[in-house]
Amino acid sequence: MKLDPRTKLFMIFVVSLIVMMSATTPFLWAIRLSITLIPIILLITEKKYASALRFLLAYGTALVLTFYFLSAESEGLIASLLIGYCGIVVQFMPALITAWYVVRTTKIGEFMSCMQKMHIPDGIAVSLAVVMRFFPTIKEEYSSINDAMRMRGVMFGGGNVLKMVEFRMIPLLFSCVNIGEELSAAAITRGLGGEAKRSSVVELKLGVADYLLMTFLTAATVIFVMFKYCL
Amino acid sequence: MSIVELEDVSFQYKGSKEGSLVNVNLNIEQGQTVLLCGASGSGKTSIIRLINGLIPHYYSGELEGEIRVADHDIKKTELYELAGKVGTVFQNPRSQFFSVDTDGEIVFGPENIGLEPKEIKARMNDVVAEMNLEEILGRSIFDLSGGQKQRIACASVAALMPNIILLDEPSSNLDFDSIELLRGIILEWKRQGKTIVISEHRLWYLKDAVDRVLYIENGRIAKEWNGEEFACLSEDEVKAYKLRPVVLEEELIKEIRGDCSSSVCETDPSIVLKDFYFSYKKRPYLILKKKFKESDGDLLNLNIPELKIPEGKVIGLVGPNGTGKSTFLRCLCGLEGDCKGKIISDGVTYKGGQRLKMCYMVMQDVNHQLFTDSVKSEVMLSLKDKDTKRCDEILDSLGLLEYKDTHPMALSGGQKQRVAIASAIASDAKILLFDEPTSGLDYSHMEKVAELLKRLSLSGATVIVSTHDPELISECCDYVLGLNHGKVLYLKESARD
Repeated sequence: MKLDPRTKLFMIFVVSLIVMMSATTPFLWAIRLSITLIPIILLITEKKYASALRFLLAYGTALVLTFYFLSAESEGLIASLLIGYCGIVVQFMPALITAWYVVRTTKIGEFMSCMQKMHIPDGIAVSLAVVMRFFPTIKEEYSSINDAMRMRGVMFGGGNVLKMVEFRMIPLLFSCVNIGEELSAAAITRGLGGEAKRSSVVELKLGVADYLLMTFLTAATVIFVMFKYCL
Repeated sequence: MSIVELEDVSFQYKGSKEGSLVNVNLNIEQGQTVLLCGASGSGKTSIIRLINGLIPHYYSGELEGEIRVADHDIKKTELYELAGKVGTVFQNPRSQFFSVDTDGEIVFGPENIGLEPKEIKARMNDVVAEMNLEEILGRSIFDLSGGQKQRIACASVAALMPNIILLDEPSSNLDFDSIELLRGIILEWKRQGKTIVISEHRLWYLKDAVDRVLYIENGRIAKEWNGEEFACLSEDEVKAYKLRPVVLEEELIKEIRGDCSSSVCETDPSIVLKDFYFSYKKRPYLILKKKFKESDGDLLNLNIPELKIPEGKVIGLVGPNGTGKSTFLRCLCGLEGDCKGKIISDGVTYKGGQRLKMCYMVMQDVNHQLFTDSVKSEVMLSLKDKDTKRCDEILDSLGLLEYKDTHPMALSGGQKQRVAIASAIASDAKILLFDEPTSGLDYSHMEKVAELLKRLSLSGATVIVSTHDPELISECCDYVLGLNHGKVLYLKESARD
């Protein structure tokens, strides 16, 4: 399935909005659950079956826990830990997974073209594109650093939490700064930041899937807000 | 007429004590191919940066003299105005890509200068056909090998159709065959009449492509040869200038390409590796991991049922890019937990996490493995008994004692590498692994690394070094281990004299 970047941005917006607003009635919960299905379907279209299953299990557990075992009166360490866990899974995971899907499936060229269509200034579009470009780099650097730490047997910083973070962050920051500096030098020599208006070879067109999804998302938002605040 | 003119140019980077270029005069005619050679830090890269305008517009400092490139006064020209006129291929393939996909990268430049989409597509098709890139279109940059990355970098520069093309140590991370492809691209540009300036340590692949060779020393142009003189330089002359060889021996080329007949020699004493299988492909079962066997064949990225490695020697690990050299090293030292290989040394068997304790890998990018705030604490981190005297001994043997309180990140590249080696020695590892330690190094630094590897092996360690560097093999390797598609092709004594 190929979605337009504009649909994807709208999708992130709606998913985060609805998932973050508290659902108070069973009907609102139904809307919220159907929105949560979106990231699961996305994971499946990306052939991440194991991740989809894991997310489904985590989400299901969190829901069951919230409804049957936890209440506003819950006390104690385990209950508060569980509330934290459920809160994160129920409120943030759907939005996070949607965002991950968007970053993973959108090419930088498509993203830039989309920004142009929406008349976002080049400066902002380029900065956002660099952020997207940097995610995989950070992941790559982080995993090499992790390897190095395992080899030296300092995975846990000798039991010192502060060291554990320091050993990871310092090399990561150094290499990201270096890569960033070289990256911008390379981009500037290829004309980034010039006075000419950027063009784009990617032609974006909204398809049937885009219209359907957008209609669904809009309807869900409108109904959710209406039932929550107006009725 | 001259297309590049440097007139009495001196430059000093902000914050550095010495000038990096001193009174450089250089005229380059339209259509010439010029090679800049000389030691690291001699000023080659600074000259490249002067021509593409990164000095003084991106890297600031004190600049004197006049620079004219394609009728632009560099000092008064904005960098983006040079975009369609001067193109640069950089050394590090990791940090010169703006896009995450290959197509996007090739059109990135033309999009920046606002060309019509139709024109951009036509240019892209031309470049792709010219450089045979069809097979790597539409891929993620992060999945490409070093050689493929460098070809995309060349293509993205060519798509802007600059008249002047600069290459800053483009072959550093490439294997023999990729260098041949790079050479083809350079020759094609030369045929098209482009002006080309290359800064490079590896010289053999350029010897019949260049018109002029400039030897840079301490920020000055110390010597100039024309193409023919350069190709005829004797071995001794090249050595005297501390340059890497201009001519490679046939035997070495075969060795480095993994182009030798398949044979494994017996050695004694030796370390036995058993059952090293590994695959990057998704495991076939959802929950339980499949245990791989030799018969899994093509599914495996590493397939070594048994191998005897000579103990206490330097072994060069060769083979083309992406053939499994890094995978082999990672599996050997236990970084890939899915590989269940065993190492048998002196009758003791090491499995799983124990492998991490008996092996130590010095990574290609040593920045990833330096964690602390001083050279001394870096070594102490690896020393089990925290013996300060032993720490000083190790640092002294590597010439690092005077830097013991310095922050590792403040050191030069070579010094950082020695710090990583110091902690490897401190960890008492029996097997030391090096992942391409000499890529991008000049002759004298390469010699120093070779010297060190020999010393490490004489002190009893077994050193395995993956490399594309024929000179390193002839300098220090006792044995050569050739890999092909994850299988051992040969293990033989090195052809060195």
